[in-house]
Amino acid sequence: MLNEERIRLMTKMAVYETGEGREYMPIKQYYRRDYVSYEMIKTFITSTIAFGILFFFWMLYKMEDMTDFFNGKDLPELGIFILVRYIIFIVIYQVIAYIVYVRRYKKATASVKEYYSNLKKVQRLQEKEEHL
Amino acid sequence: MTGLLEIREKLRIFYGRYELYVITGMKFVLGLVVFFLINSQIGYMERLKHPAVVLILSLGCAFLPINAMMVIAAGMILVHLFAVSLEACAIGLCLFLLLLFMYGKFAPQNGYGTILTSVLCCFRVPQVMPVAEGLLKEPSAYLSVLCGTVTYYFVKGVQDNLVNFTATEETEGLSRFTAALKILVGNKEMYLVLAAFFITALVVYVIRRQSINYAWRIAMFAGNMVELVILLVGYIVLDKTENILWIILGILLSFGVSLILEFFFYHLDYSRIERVQFEDDEYYYFVKAVPKVFVAQKDKKVKQITPKKRTTVNRRRLAEELDIDQDLLD
Repeated sequence: MLNEERIRLMTKMAVYETGEGREYMPIKQYYRRDYVSYEMIKTFITSTIAFGILFFFWMLYKMEDMTDFFNGKDLPELGIFILVRYIIFIVIYQVIAYIVYVRRYKKATASVKEYYSNLKKVQRLQEKEEHL
Repeated sequence: MTGLLEIREKLRIFYGRYELYVITGMKFVLGLVVFFLINSQIGYMERLKHPAVVLILSLGCAFLPINAMMVIAAGMILVHLFAVSLEACAIGLCLFLLLLFMYGKFAPQNGYGTILTSVLCCFRVPQVMPVAEGLLKEPSAYLSVLCGTVTYYFVKGVQDNLVNFTATEETEGLSRFTAALKILVGNKEMYLVLAAFFITALVVYVIRRQSINYAWRIAMFAGNMVELVILLVGYIVLDKTENILWIILGILLSFGVSLILEFFFYHLDYSRIERVQFEDDEYYYFVKAVPKVFVAQKDKKVKQITPKKRTTVNRRRLAEELDIDQDLLD
């Protein structure tokens, strides 16, 4: 005979898996520390590319004023100038990434919690049915 | 008001029942609008301007996530820019990558905000977006409005400065790069709009989160007023007074849209506020509960009080039902 309670729970879980769960369940495959570190490494790469693009823009825009740079005169000063900005940029983005991904992990934990509690209920109902 | 509430409930039920079709249809229409607008604004590549291309792309977007529409629209813009000049296309590509890496990575689910802002910018009424986003979303989503605004001003800048990109022998590649960059760097109007939108969205967000009566209405009023003042003062300072009429029109539209949003998402009955106070081991709770205005849909039952018409049955059917020969009924 069909167990209505189990079907109801399983439907709820299926809806979660195809909706909100699709975003949050992969996150919960990691430990918090691993997830945040992984995302921060990805952010480091993307923010480095973003800085590269910004630097490219800046170079193009200031091309006419940079004849000294191309002659190699201002190279050390310019190098330090760019490096300092790069470090500041990366640090800011790492902080943002940390905050964003810690919050996302917390959200995922809360969201997946109910799913797992339903899973346990289904398991218990199934065991009960098997005993009967 | 009761009639409106009933309509709201009907709309909710309709949306709940046909959600898939409604969203697909909306995406299709949005795709049509976006691709037609891109073609009308910077349609330099003739092959992409064919209506069949727009239709096929829109149809594809209807079944894909909204971010796919963003990628396709960005690709379309780049192809059109490529037809004008390689330099404008390269700067456009770098700009889109920058937006993706600096913002899109952190909040990938705000595609609608970006697309709608660009579309409304084309219709010259983007003032709706910051107030709407402030009412409905969290601060991280407000940057999507800014991304849409930057994209619009870049495309508009290329359109306005087409002379700098069209192939002339005197124009060097480097100066074309600089011209493309100046569209972004030297565009004071863009900075003004960006600042106005961000401040407006934050003002709306801060006020609507307060525990005060009519928080949404106060937020939308304050937000629209702040936006109006910043934009009016800014445009007067920039000496672009010809835009003032559009700003006022945009703010009026923003008021209208905000009221509709409030009606659908935050319609509360302040006359029935309940205040409760209780405690547990760690805290004292002072709770203010405001009930939502809700009208149950009328359950219509048709009761027939006139007698049913007598149904006539012909001989053949009766004979068939009784499983006898027709001649026996004579």
